[in-house]
Amino acid sequence: MHSDLFHQRFEARYTDGRTAGSRDVMVELTERGILIPQDGSAAPLIWPFGALATAEPLTDHAIDALVTYSYQPGATLFVPGPRFARALATLAPQLTASAERWRAASPWLWGAAATVAIGVFVWLAGLSPAHTIANMLPDKARTAMGRQVVKSMTDGRAVCRDDAGLKALEKLTGRLVAATHDGKAFNVVVIDWGLVNAFATPGENVVLTSGLLDAANGPDEVAGVLAHEMGHGLELHPETGLVRAMGLAAATELLMGGSGTLSNLGIVLLQLSYSRDAEGEADDHAIAILRDARISSKGFARFFERMSKTDGSAKRLGKGGLGGMLSSHPDTDERLAKVLRSGGYAATPALSEREWAALKSICRTSLPSAKAGHSE
Amino acid sequence: MQTSATGPAVHHPPRGERLDLTWLKPIGMIGLSVSNFIYRILTLGIYDFWARTEVRKRLWSAIRLNGEPLAYTGTGKELFLGFLIVFGVVLLPILIVSVAAILIFGPNSLTANLIQAAIYIAVFMLVGVAIYRAQRYRLLRTNWRGIRGNLQGSSTPYAMTYFLTLFLIPLTLGWIVPWRATKLQSMITNNVRFGSMPFAFRGNSGLLYGPYAVLWFGILVLFIVASAISGMVIGSIQGDLGPGLEPPDDVKQLYGLTILGVFALAYLFYLFMSAWYRARTINHFAQCTHFDSASFNGTATGIGLLWIDITNLAILIAGSLVVVALLSAIAALIFMIVPALVPATAMSPAEIQAYAAAMAAPVLVFIGALSFTLLLPVTQARSMGYLIDHLALEGSVDVNKIAQSTADPMATGEGLAQAFDIDAF
Ligand SMILES: [Zn+2]
Repeated sequence: MHSDLFHQRFEARYTDGRTAGSRDVMVELTERGILIPQDGSAAPLIWPFGALATAEPLTDHAIDALVTYSYQPGATLFVPGPRFARALATLAPQLTASAERWRAASPWLWGAAATVAIGVFVWLAGLSPAHTIANMLPDKARTAMGRQVVKSMTDGRAVCRDDAGLKALEKLTGRLVAATHDGKAFNVVVIDWGLVNAFATPGENVVLTSGLLDAANGPDEVAGVLAHEMGHGLELHPETGLVRAMGLAAATELLMGGSGTLSNLGIVLLQLSYSRDAEGEADDHAIAILRDARISSKGFARFFERMSKTDGSAKRLGKGGLGGMLSSHPDTDERLAKVLRSGGYAATPALSEREWAALKSICRTSLPSAKAGHSE
Repeated sequence: MQTSATGPAVHHPPRGERLDLTWLKPIGMIGLSVSNFIYRILTLGIYDFWARTEVRKRLWSAIRLNGEPLAYTGTGKELFLGFLIVFGVVLLPILIVSVAAILIFGPNSLTANLIQAAIYIAVFMLVGVAIYRAQRYRLLRTNWRGIRGNLQGSSTPYAMTYFLTLFLIPLTLGWIVPWRATKLQSMITNNVRFGSMPFAFRGNSGLLYGPYAVLWFGILVLFIVASAISGMVIGSIQGDLGPGLEPPDDVKQLYGLTILGVFALAYLFYLFMSAWYRARTINHFAQCTHFDSASFNGTATGIGLLWIDITNLAILIAGSLVVVALLSAIAALIFMIVPALVPATAMSPAEIQAYAAAMAAPVLVFIGALSFTLLLPVTQARSMGYLIDHLALEGSVDVNKIAQSTADPMATGEGLAQAFDIDAF
């Protein structure tokens, strides 16, 4: 094979790697490798093709070749002219650019393919790494996360704390919490904000807006919304969403080398909307909680229906939280039907008329946040 | 080599030879760019370390001394391992500490901000270490006739000088720049070895202060002139109208464009002046760099550097546009094909398209973000080619006197060095 390539001779420059001096030699391609004559009576060197390296990978454009030999470090052989480079590419094909690229890339190509395959598997199997991590978070960490989120949501807004209103809210929350059979104490905060919305936040916290209280026709509607948000909390949806967002932010931060994307967790949660499955889970919890608390689910359904059909108020809902739940999901009617079907048990109003009136005016007394005092 | 026979007592006339520094324009850089780009995408970016290595091998080989190429002997694996080490030792701890600070003390709290500030300072102190070590790594991986380069000494003095300089520049309104830049350059040059032979930096920053003053006052004058013209434009409108009257929208637009044009022109002037100062610096540093009985001579010009920069930018944009056009075509194809592939009953066509978009979006964004780097190797070859074309080694070098470096080529240059290997080539 390649017999036509052997015994060709080429003018070259050889250095021994001890000094930067070099000398002219005539090298020859042989079956055993490159033959390099030495001065005087010294035996010629033979560099086998398998142990060669070139300064740059051989390409069709090569106009010369700088060859080194792994068992003689420092020594170099520079052969001008494209003829030698062509011949070497045939005799030592591992030195060509395409071979070197493939050698370097192929393990990573398999790795990338496996990564994509695992990703698709995780997605198809409905596994959620973020949910797994959220489940492993200690309660202390979830509480700390919740405190930060509530803090950044109430930043620049007043927290409503009229005494009678707080008492009514406590009563409603207590009634719903008792029905969760979970023993987790939920903490509900109302903030003075015209937006009609409600957010479940980590560590069993729920944030309601005064806009939602204004838009609700009766305590049963608020109870339904609260039960739904508690359902998100019980399923650790806010924790999962934050873990996912933080993972993404951390990844971007690492890739971009920047810093500061993580600084506002509340904004992340405001933008977060849950998947259809998550909303379904929260609905199921809401239905069960309302039933066990003996509160009619009709209020929830009514509020749900009104909010999803009124264009004007849908705009006021914003993107995340409850807004996400009521945004254009194609199965709104289906979910509505499910909530309506769940009725048919004896129920009492979620709050008395007086308590409801007190809750509606909970923002009569509010605690302005430190920032609001300066900026607004 | 033949000198040993005559004994050490005999004095020879200077036996050096002139070394001709030339740039042999590399062929096939566009093909290499495309191939690297495809491999980078298919390996989710990891191939980048090997891609950069192959580019360096081509660029180094294009630099010729007496027709013989420099050789780059670094490997992609070294760059990759260095990245992993720095990722684990520097980036990950920084990330963990900043996230923990935010979670524990709250976003925008004083403590979290102080910790962030401390991290920033630490990173700035590491920049000098990174520059020095990256230079060392590259010199250790650079051969000519089998003889390795090296950068001796510790990176600490350089890093401290670098940090102090960054700190002092705003305090002195920039007037220490020529002095500190010369000092930093000399700290590196004086530690560079080629084999056993040292490089030497002889000179000071005095010659750079003239050009720097021109640059400094030039920027000031540019800013004042641009502002004055804008002020005159606005004044002339109000003068015609009389006080308190709003000019019509089309007049406002016209004058807005005029002001924009004035500042764009000023910016172009600024680019030219800074390129001119950069050329002066390159040429001055070249002149100060001595090697055996030779020294470098730089003939770079501001207009030349500016031309390379602007055309390189145009090349990168063109490459990005090509990729984006291809991506758009692929995205359109997905939208047309996918609804036809899925049975109509499973999901509505609109839902399927939404799903396809959600699946394809991250991939398209990933490729789109990389698109700007498609022709980066081409631009790097042009920049390096310009520099080498405008550098000459004048005088003579006794190459037989240069022995192999005794420094262990593997002992240094790994780890931190490569991940901080952040500059152009
Ligand atoms: Zn929901």
